[in-house]
Amino acid sequence: MNTPSDTPPPPWAGGPYSIKRHGVSLTNCDSEPVQTPGCIQPHGALLVLRLADLTILQVSENSRDHLGLAPDELLGQPITKLVDADGAARLRAFLANEPVERNPLYVFTLPALTESGPLDVTMHTADGVVVLECEATGRGDSRIEPDYYALVKKSVTRLQLAPSVSAFCDAVAEEVRALTGLDRVMVYRFHEDFHGEVVAESRRGDLPGWLGMHYPAEDIPRPAREIFKRIWIRPLPDVSAPVMELVPLANPDTGRALTMTHCALRGASIMYVEYLQNMGVAATLTMPILCDGELWGLIACHHYTPTRFPYQLRAACEFLAQVASLQLRGAEQRESLVYRLKIDGVHNQVIAQAARDVGLMTMTEGTPNLLDGMDAGGAALYHADRWWCVGNTPSVEQLDALNLWLDERAEFLSPTRAVYATDSLVREYPAGADFAEVASGVLAVPLARRRQNVLLWFRPETIQTVKWGGNPHDKPTLTGPHGPRLTPRKSFELFTESVRQRSLPWLGVEVDAALRLRLLIMELVVTRAEQLTELNADLTRSNEELDAFAYVASHDLKEPLRGISKYAHQLLESATALDEENRARLGSLMRLTLRMDSLLDSLLHFSRVGRVTLDLRPVDLNEVVDEALEMVAARRQETPAEIIIPRALPTVACDRVRVREVFVNLFSNALKYNASPQRRIEIGWLEAAEKAGRENAPPHCQRVPVFYVRDNGLGIEPRHTVHIFKMFKRLHGRDDYGGGAGAGLTIVQKLVERHHGAVWLASAPGAGSTFYFALSCDEEGREP
Amino acid sequence: MSPLPGFILVVEDSDEDFDTVRDAARRAALPQEIRRATTGDAALGLLADWERENQALPALVLLDLNTPGGDGREVLRAVRENPRLRALPLVVLSTSDNPRDLDFCYTSGANAYHTKPVGYPAHLAVLQQIFHYWLTAVSLPGGVQLSSTP
Repeated sequence: MNTPSDTPPPPWAGGPYSIKRHGVSLTNCDSEPVQTPGCIQPHGALLVLRLADLTILQVSENSRDHLGLAPDELLGQPITKLVDADGAARLRAFLANEPVERNPLYVFTLPALTESGPLDVTMHTADGVVVLECEATGRGDSRIEPDYYALVKKSVTRLQLAPSVSAFCDAVAEEVRALTGLDRVMVYRFHEDFHGEVVAESRRGDLPGWLGMHYPAEDIPRPAREIFKRIWIRPLPDVSAPVMELVPLANPDTGRALTMTHCALRGASIMYVEYLQNMGVAATLTMPILCDGELWGLIACHHYTPTRFPYQLRAACEFLAQVASLQLRGAEQRESLVYRLKIDGVHNQVIAQAARDVGLMTMTEGTPNLLDGMDAGGAALYHADRWWCVGNTPSVEQLDALNLWLDERAEFLSPTRAVYATDSLVREYPAGADFAEVASGVLAVPLARRRQNVLLWFRPETIQTVKWGGNPHDKPTLTGPHGPRLTPRKSFELFTESVRQRSLPWLGVEVDAALRLRLLIMELVVTRAEQLTELNADLTRSNEELDAFAYVASHDLKEPLRGISKYAHQLLESATALDEENRARLGSLMRLTLRMDSLLDSLLHFSRVGRVTLDLRPVDLNEVVDEALEMVAARRQETPAEIIIPRALPTVACDRVRVREVFVNLFSNALKYNASPQRRIEIGWLEAAEKAGRENAPPHCQRVPVFYVRDNGLGIEPRHTVHIFKMFKRLHGRDDYGGGAGAGLTIVQKLVERHHGAVWLASAPGAGSTFYFALSCDEEGREP
Repeated sequence: MSPLPGFILVVEDSDEDFDTVRDAARRAALPQEIRRATTGDAALGLLADWERENQALPALVLLDLNTPGGDGREVLRAVRENPRLRALPLVVLSTSDNPRDLDFCYTSGANAYHTKPVGYPAHLAVLQQIFHYWLTAVSLPGGVQLSSTP
């Protein structure tokens, strides 16, 4: 848009503007002096009178057509040249008593002076002069004047009942058309960027529909929009009729151009006329819809043949526009309430679902989901370290990058309104250009910032959703009398430019709903945390109960066991008569009691391992390994083995006693399940950065030191590896390889898991086994 | 002065386990009489009677930790809180090797803590070791004179 400083002075610089003289030279709509056009429409005559004595100062050049007198016969004359004494008195009385300042009021009807017939005279004052507009009444023909009052009353009732803005606009369009009988009546709504959209339409059945069409802001330029904040009606009964200039063009008293903002006869902007002509429109009537003093939209009426808009009709339309303006807010509130209730209803269901089911992911996976409430094209939730998407969203990589960027936004830090909403992400986030078609509009609320959990809704680029009633590119290029400007194709190009990488804006009710949903989610999370705390307390309690149970069980089970052992023994000692077979049976009985005893001991130990508090401190694992080797010394004497430690082990934070037990169990197994003539045990470790050996490691053990105990023993078949960590699960015969309760690896796993680590193995039958384990917590017992 | 050679109080609810104690005493040819209380309360009652009537106290108390009706822990505590009983040699026998029990008993003044093995020969062996140690190897308080065991 040009600014005044870089615009060359207009051709009318230094004198008043006239459409007739200067209009064709215009290139820029925003610079056209539409309020002082210097010309009127030819279907009436205009007189400018001095306020003090009602002397005629200016008159339209067509005065003879309507008043029977040429300008030179009127200029400088008192008004009584035209009206009788009664008329003049009536004018003075109106000036004195009626609110005529910038408010045209009907004063009287002049009898026919020419072929135009009787003239309705309206008067208003502006800029210190009196403006009289004289228009043919149109009542000369046989038409009966409609009952405007009854018509308007019916319309007003209908508007008051409209449940939504769209129903309201439909009612406006239909009622205005019923009132005027014009070919097409549209409600044209301005968006935030002033581009317009046809939101309601009532038209003659044979005309193409324009509903849902969008137009660039330039189609109704700023000066025209400004005028519509001040006047209630703009009639243009014959678009193509030649304009009539004022004589003289400037007020002889002041030298100024006449401000014609409120004149019904005001000559139309040359750009506007051309635009209408390009669309084939012959007559228009336009009323503004104002909301809180701002131009919300227009009631735009098109007619395809020239027509008349008599004063009575205009007054009725004007009244309807005023009522529509007053009622609109109510309809908006009704609609917004309905929309709000709808979104909240869906969101409440979504939350109830998330509370009942596994978690927040049902917000995108479930029915209903995040898209059922909010009017959006897609939604995404970052939760539990991944994205949950529904509808059309950017890719996961694009979402990741966007989330990082959002996390830095000041909006996310707000303690009360942590929300980011935009209808053009690209303006602030250039990388958004890659996915502008699905997500030009973004509405985002942070959930848990520490984990970068976030909830997002996306709106597509407007251009993707706009209905253009038939692609303008398919139509033959229309070229107006002044070149290709202001043709539908040109408009479309301007329009697409104005809405590129933009979505429809987020409504206040939507932003509020997002914030409310955020609160509901936080509440849910807090409730979950409370439940978790309770569960933890329950767990501690039941752990203690388990402890007591295991303790009592062991006591109560061992007591009869001791009795059985005792009697078996006594029987064996006393009954010398027993045969060998029965002696053997008694021997087995005693052995079984001992075996059961060892099972009970393992069970007790295992239950204790799960509950002891770890004593975490830096421990030199070389010492721990030495101690563990010492503890298996007896077995090493039975089954000697070569011990290899390729490099010194590190010092790590752990519970010395527990980790020693891990090594003892692993060493015992390595010694036990080994039939090699030369047994070998290798004890080593992988540094945090080393990759090899981690193939079977869980994700949280990928970047921590890993320790291993490798043997050249029997090895384990892959199908057995899932079983070996199970309690009392043995792969070999009860008394093979030195027996054992089968709890060693279960206890190893438990001990390692208590350190937030894991144990896994690599093995093949005959190729030995390597048991790996990681201890991934730091000194305070936290996971890294 | 109590008559020699004194007696041993066994607090034990299990008949089998008490029987094993007697077996062990017989095998060790202990001269001492073995008296039994089957509950903690009964043991405390006996001790209170003897104390009141100024009778001789046992030379040794074998205390099962998990007896019904006032368990071994209560007996242990009550004995150590009573100035006249405080010096009584008190040996805990328990099925449990729970470190918490061990800590409790030693902290509360038990003289020794033994776990009862499930196997009969091992159980006998433990008891015989106890008798040997407490009735022959160490000097006991209260001027109890014990005959030497074979």
